[in-house]
Amino acid sequence: MPVSKRLMEHAPAIDAPPQSLADYKATGGYKGLEKALKMEPDAITQMVLEAGVRGRGGAGFPAGRKWSFVPKNTGKPIYLACNADESEPGCFKDRQLMERVPHLLIEGCVMACRAIGAQAAFIYVRGEYPQSIAALEAALIEARDKGLVGENVMGSGWACEVWVHQGAGAYICGEETGLLSSLEGGRGYPRIKPPFPAVEGLWSSPTIINNVETLANVPVIVRDGVEAFRSVGDDDTAGTRLVGISGHVENPGDVEINPATTTIRELIEVHAGGVWKGRKLKAVIPGGSSVPVLPADAIDVPFTYGAVKEAGSLAGAGGVIVMDETTCMVDALMNLMQFYHHESCGQCTPCREGTGWLEKLVTRIWSGEGSERDIELLDRVADTIGGAQQGKTICFLADSAVMPTKSFLKHFRDDFVKAVADGGSPVFKARRDRHAKTSTAAKTGTAAKTGAK
Amino acid sequence: MATLTIDGREVTVEPGTTVIEAVRRLGADVPHYCWHPGLSVAGNCRICLVEVEGMPTVQISCNLGVRDGMVVHTQSEKARQARQDVMELLLINHPLDCPICDQAGECKLQEYSFDFGTDGSRFDFPKVHKPKHVRFSEKVVFDAERCILCTRCVRFLDEVAGKDELDIINRGDRNEIAVARGDELTSDYQMNIVDVCPVGALTSTDFRFKSRVWFLKQTRSVCAGCSRGCNVTVGSRWNRVLRLVPAENQAVNKWWMCDDGRFTYRDVGADDRLGAPMVRKNGRLVEVSWDEALAAAAEGLGNAGKDLTAVVSARLTNEELHLAQTILDHVGAGERGYRARDFAKDDMLRTGDGNPNAAGAELMGLTPFTTDLPGAKHVFLCGDGVEQNEDLSSAAFVLVADCRESQTILEFATVVLPSVTAFEKRGSFTNVDGRIQRVEPSVRAPGSALEDWKLLGRLLAKLTGDAAPTSADSVLKSMGATRPAFEGLSLGRLGPLGKSTATATAAANGEAQ
Repeated sequence: MPVSKRLMEHAPAIDAPPQSLADYKATGGYKGLEKALKMEPDAITQMVLEAGVRGRGGAGFPAGRKWSFVPKNTGKPIYLACNADESEPGCFKDRQLMERVPHLLIEGCVMACRAIGAQAAFIYVRGEYPQSIAALEAALIEARDKGLVGENVMGSGWACEVWVHQGAGAYICGEETGLLSSLEGGRGYPRIKPPFPAVEGLWSSPTIINNVETLANVPVIVRDGVEAFRSVGDDDTAGTRLVGISGHVENPGDVEINPATTTIRELIEVHAGGVWKGRKLKAVIPGGSSVPVLPADAIDVPFTYGAVKEAGSLAGAGGVIVMDETTCMVDALMNLMQFYHHESCGQCTPCREGTGWLEKLVTRIWSGEGSERDIELLDRVADTIGGAQQGKTICFLADSAVMPTKSFLKHFRDDFVKAVADGGSPVFKARRDRHAKTSTAAKTGTAAKTGAK
Repeated sequence: MATLTIDGREVTVEPGTTVIEAVRRLGADVPHYCWHPGLSVAGNCRICLVEVEGMPTVQISCNLGVRDGMVVHTQSEKARQARQDVMELLLINHPLDCPICDQAGECKLQEYSFDFGTDGSRFDFPKVHKPKHVRFSEKVVFDAERCILCTRCVRFLDEVAGKDELDIINRGDRNEIAVARGDELTSDYQMNIVDVCPVGALTSTDFRFKSRVWFLKQTRSVCAGCSRGCNVTVGSRWNRVLRLVPAENQAVNKWWMCDDGRFTYRDVGADDRLGAPMVRKNGRLVEVSWDEALAAAAEGLGNAGKDLTAVVSARLTNEELHLAQTILDHVGAGERGYRARDFAKDDMLRTGDGNPNAAGAELMGLTPFTTDLPGAKHVFLCGDGVEQNEDLSSAAFVLVADCRESQTILEFATVVLPSVTAFEKRGSFTNVDGRIQRVEPSVRAPGSALEDWKLLGRLLAKLTGDAAPTSADSVLKSMGATRPAFEGLSLGRLGPLGKSTATATAAANGEAQ
């Protein structure tokens, strides 16, 4: 099973300092930009379109097509916003790029700006990533110093500035239009469409929003050519993918793979050292916490957008969350619902009111106060909320709560039925009993005696 | 133009129109909370969902542009189910305490719930609790639990009033509207947020808990606070005016009015209202019959002749001004005019002219009075309830027609004719843009006070021996003969939205309107 390193090919070790400009240049860095500056901007877009690179932030929209939506000659400035918010639970791949090969992202940003006619790029980094911000800031100082970013990019006479913006810790700011609202200094509220950001984005000007990994692929595409880029992956998912594997595995971490030839099972068993403690696999959420969960027997599929979708989930933002056989799925879902309830921006009625209802229902089941009716209701309320996939909300946050709920109930209903029948989930009961023991011990004084022994 | 089909009916609208606007063009509607025709589109309440053929998901009709050939269903099973789902979610954390909520009776949650909600809820948890009776200012109180976070109030203050004073704090189902700039709202238009609030979250401290709205008598009229002539709906009960809210008129005030205008009703219930005619006898004002008072007034005016100085208020209606001028012409009064009145001006609605009918006064040939009254021997103050402090110590005859007692009346009046406020009479005002608009009475005047047109009509009859006019409408219909701007007009013809004098003139000349 081949490891396919491309973006991370020359990345320094995970604990080493970020790759310097000199090291980056020594391995072909900024060659893509040099080439791009000699091309017509539309030709860059055309290359990216032909390369077929799809958005790595989760939605999988073809980047070249997105770029082609930018209207020309509106008299307004054009902006590039790099989505480095990486707020999806289970995802930590963009962080690897920013902290280990920051110049790759900066080069990608400048090239994308060149292609879409922008003269400024904003990299919106989540507030919880101070090292990423430090690495990018340091790399930008180097790049500006060497004329790779700034008023005269590589002596071409063309100006392009790149700014790093630190987020303030809200999941919703990773939603592309919520990101724009936040970047403008407002509440991180997603925006209704139309207008689409490519037409009216940042400060009502045409704006392209791309994920870190998507932009990191741009220098590679232009430098090595479309054919070379497409030699990895397949027609559905061209190029490599960076995937983070976490949860109940021996060696959690990121890996860059050929998505066409690497299955989810291989990601877990080969790259992450298998399920930990010799236990069996129970479930996998393959694309970050928002996508449907897959049972253990559904993971022998390549990590392409199409194949994972066919298996009943989504490759999403490449965050594989692994759960072993001891996992109580009620407990896991409760954790997710707490998250989505907490992070709902509250703008749209269904999400604002519904995510809290989902959390309340699953918590009731978790704590042994639920009934069969509550399980049924959990499923129905998920349908009631719907989300953007049903047209009921502005953004996909509601769907991100609905998809796990529906899929957890579909594949692991037994866990919920058992929690109802047994007076609560195993985790709840363990906590309750531990508390009971402690309080009994405190009353009888046995704790002190035991302690003396 | 784009032609689309909505629930089987075709409608042709301009490109750029949204589906909800197209639906309303047909005289129908789609339920909506956050959408307001005078505000930007927020698209957050999600209740205006409709089904569009060829589109996989339901769509919010407030942000969906029309396309030629579009087929829209507002009543399909899919659209109804989606709206019902949103309705259920809106209510899970909303207090169901309509019996003690002041919005009951004009609450969109109640109305839509009645229209298409379910009769129960599947939600059986304690509701989320939030702050109640939060003071936004001395005029506005906020109940966060009743708020559905549609942000109409936030958008109104920001986009219309130009005061970005409200915002949302917290997140998700903990969201609350809060004063975000300073401690309290300062906008002179802040009470409009009470009107645009579709639920009971924002209430007016002036009106809340005074009356159930379904007991209010609703009268469409015109605000007399300044020369803008904002259209209003006067809410009254027990012969008392309880509130003024703006009535839509795109040519005048759109959907809004200023806060000061809302408080003009307070004059109606003032405790210094005049309720009976009076004549000064032996140095003291004595209540007399209307007949005696009018006879005294007519005699005094007749004696004064060209020496009469008349201050006619530009707060009178067009009809009343016409009658006053006719009287003064008949008497041959020398000096006449109206007193200009200032009113804080702004860029929005307030014109700076505190007279609601200065344009009407000008049309009648009256101009602002510049001379002082001291020294005048014979005076006619044809007033309207605004405190006057004229020094008339040298006058031998002072006739005052007014609705409120004043120092001038007590000290100098020879004859006092009690008149009424703009809330107690019928007629028309001409606003700053030359638009003639209808004034309707919402309450009855105290005692035997008479509408000014009636009082002036009777006075004129006394002077001429002709019959007195029987209605304000009859005055308007007849005055067109001598005053071209009013030719062909009647109160009925003015309609609820009024007519511009230009239009009226054009109509009189037989030109197309």
